[in-house]
Amino acid sequence: LSSEPIERRVSFLGDRLRASRCQICGKEYFEIRDYCGKCGRKSYGKMDNIDLFYEKGKLELCTLIDEPTNKFSKLERFVYGMVSFHDGKVRVPARITDQLLNKGDIDLASLEGREVTPRFRRRYSVGKSEVVPTISLAFTLADEYYPHQEYKVIQPTKDYDLPGIVGYGVYSSRFRIKDGGIERAVPFIDEDSVTAAVEAGKLALIHSGLDSSWVGKVYAGSESNPYAVKPIAAKVAQVLQLGEQDGDLQGVDAVDTEFACKAASSMFKDACALVSYPRSGIDYAMVIGADNSQAAPRGCPGGELDAFVGYGGAAYLFGKKDVIAEVEGWYSCTSDTPDFWRRDGEPYPMHGGRFTGDPAYHKHVRKAASKLMEKCNMKASDFAYFVPHQPNPSFPVRIAKDLGFKDEQFMPAIQMTKFGNTYSGASLVGLGAILDIAKPDDRILVASYGSGAGSDAYVLRATSQILDKRSRQKVNVKFLAENPFIEYVDYATYRRLKQGM
Amino acid sequence: MQNRPVIVAVGRTKFGEHYGKEPEKLIEEAWLAASNECNLERKNLEACYMSDCFLPITNKLGLEEGFLSELTELHVPMEVTRSFSAALKTACHAIQAGVYSTVLVGGIEKMTDRWDKIRDDLMLLEDPWSYYAGGTTEANHELMLRAYIKKYGINNENLDKLYNALAQVTIKNHANGAKNPYAQFQRKISLESVLGSRKAANKALGLFDYAPVSDGAAALILTSEEVAKKMGASPVYVYSCNSATDYLDYSARDELSHFIATEFAMKKALQTSKLAPWDIKLWEINDQSTMMEMVSLEDLGYCPAGTAWKSIAESCPNAKGCYVVDGKELYVNMDGGLKADGNPLGATGGAQIYEIYRQLTGKADQRQVNVDGAAPKYGGVLEFEGFGTKAYVNIFGRE
Repeated sequence: LSSEPIERRVSFLGDRLRASRCQICGKEYFEIRDYCGKCGRKSYGKMDNIDLFYEKGKLELCTLIDEPTNKFSKLERFVYGMVSFHDGKVRVPARITDQLLNKGDIDLASLEGREVTPRFRRRYSVGKSEVVPTISLAFTLADEYYPHQEYKVIQPTKDYDLPGIVGYGVYSSRFRIKDGGIERAVPFIDEDSVTAAVEAGKLALIHSGLDSSWVGKVYAGSESNPYAVKPIAAKVAQVLQLGEQDGDLQGVDAVDTEFACKAASSMFKDACALVSYPRSGIDYAMVIGADNSQAAPRGCPGGELDAFVGYGGAAYLFGKKDVIAEVEGWYSCTSDTPDFWRRDGEPYPMHGGRFTGDPAYHKHVRKAASKLMEKCNMKASDFAYFVPHQPNPSFPVRIAKDLGFKDEQFMPAIQMTKFGNTYSGASLVGLGAILDIAKPDDRILVASYGSGAGSDAYVLRATSQILDKRSRQKVNVKFLAENPFIEYVDYATYRRLKQGM
Repeated sequence: MQNRPVIVAVGRTKFGEHYGKEPEKLIEEAWLAASNECNLERKNLEACYMSDCFLPITNKLGLEEGFLSELTELHVPMEVTRSFSAALKTACHAIQAGVYSTVLVGGIEKMTDRWDKIRDDLMLLEDPWSYYAGGTTEANHELMLRAYIKKYGINNENLDKLYNALAQVTIKNHANGAKNPYAQFQRKISLESVLGSRKAANKALGLFDYAPVSDGAAALILTSEEVAKKMGASPVYVYSCNSATDYLDYSARDELSHFIATEFAMKKALQTSKLAPWDIKLWEINDQSTMMEMVSLEDLGYCPAGTAWKSIAESCPNAKGCYVVDGKELYVNMDGGLKADGNPLGATGGAQIYEIYRQLTGKADQRQVNVDGAAPKYGGVLEFEGFGTKAYVNIFGRE
């Protein structure tokens, strides 16, 4: 029943929860309207475009759906109802997401009246060749895993000589699998790399306090884009309204990048260069790395990865004002090493087994990190923290020790034991954990790795603003990792959730 | 002076599953029954008004008028609407205006032809945004019931009483359906099975609270008063055909526990027919669910808001199968309602009017209602399109 134009219109309104408010009587409508039904003709041209994307709603009424319509059948059981915003001025239909409901009674009355946060998710199942439908009519309880955070624009005050990170956001799902001594994040069934990218970007905007229209470029790196052709970055740009908005066009450059796990980290320097180039006209650039990391089931070829893959991502905003961590230098290296790959059309990647270690990960990371230290005339002890790429629990520890780092320098960055290997997001999530705790003037060495193969190393120096901005961020890496609302799932559920809608 | 539209004959098929029949076979059966009843030749028809809610989707049929033309070998004007009441309304306007004096009004639906996708279709047509958010038609009924319970602060033993009252609605409708040879379900059900189905569904409303998915057709012949008198048929006059509309999106409506479209349509219907509510003691109400029948009793003005469940609980079950409100008897859904009779959307209103016609002309056999020792003088039909998005209130009288 759907088509490309219908899909476009539903997504345009539903992804951002666009709404209208009458300037005369204050009545609000979900969807964009040119005039108010109550005020009629005189309200034409007097409707304010508003949206509910960053708002907190209230679940007014709800019921259990356990015989969903066909397109929702993979969700099996969920709570559905209606959510009001602005003290009941506007109401929307709502699906409560991130809940694995077992058979048995659900106390609907205890849910009614609770505050909820809109979440950007896949809308429903469609055929493999169709446009992936999304919507933000999915909600989670605001006092649980993902709290509501206010998005407040703050005018930047201080200029920095060097470009650097001005804000960041790390996102991962509520579900985990505990397995082989580590925990790994599992997406809910309506999540994918696109929804994680948008969530991370949203959190980064909230943390930075930047007006989304100031962002001139967005890079999205992922290995698990549900599309072979169609950029994640376009969805991010539209939903987060990056760049100057003109009707349904956003004045922003958006592009997807791909280089296995370093697709995003590679763009840090490009973002820095862009915001530093005086004629670019771009003050801020966003880099996102997010993945619903793929792995064949255990026992199948390539299935060894199944023990390590996670879900999540991070977004970084780069600029030259109110910088929290300056980028002092970088070094990258590349070689044509086929240690890990996924052919077009194949659902799961393959890898070179034992050769993913020494001739691949270790060789490239060691080269990039040591070369950069040499370039900057620094040694391991000059750094407060070292953030290596982290595909499994052992590789990052070995490389850190090889490079002369001590446990306290790199262990806080090892997040794959909590979220799993988030592929393009892995080193970015590790860096997020460090920025959460770094003090002004701390130096951080980041060394990402992308199979195929290459590594990007960066030297960052934290500024005093890192402390100023910290209080804006409720959802940080520790919050996500140690959240009391985390739900653990078994292997079969993990595979089912990961498969998605 | 306007011409008064008169129903001179009605016909219908059995509702239920008609696996082997094309949609056109069903409407043929209904039309033949109606034309036999009043001895009408097809060449006498000046126009046809037909309703189907979504034959273009279920049966990939566009231009339904075309197959009706093939069927009747008629080349008269034909129009298609989405509900039987809408077709009747349009037909009445034509008769009243003196444009035509004899027309066919028919309705048809073939829902089981798309049984595996019907719930998606229904919900998407009823309210797309709710569908996108994961909603189902049943969920809207559940939500409205919760809104109702909250609004009127019904709790504890009163809540049990309300649920019991809703069970009595379906028990009554099934008992009536058992006397209707055309009904989809012609058997009585017990309180235990109603409560059991709710328990199995783990919800306030269970399988027995909802109308089924059905195939079926209904038809009637509508003429001017003059033509009706010449035909010498038993006439039933259309006193009023009124409708009102509400938002598509249920969650966006101001009123969550009532269908305000019904209130508007009823108000207008009483004005047009110059009748008082209690002149009409016989109703066919669009009971997509038991909740809908209960709320409609209030929306039509028979029970004060928030009290219908009390009247139902206090008067049901009884031997007459009626509700008693303040000592006054109200007969609702004597054909079994949508619950037992069936709900083939485009034909549903036709079956409702069929029942009113039979009752008013004293030909309802074992279902016949007696008001003051005679067949009822007036009867009303409430039909919906969607979840209260459109409400039609039609009032019929014998004189």
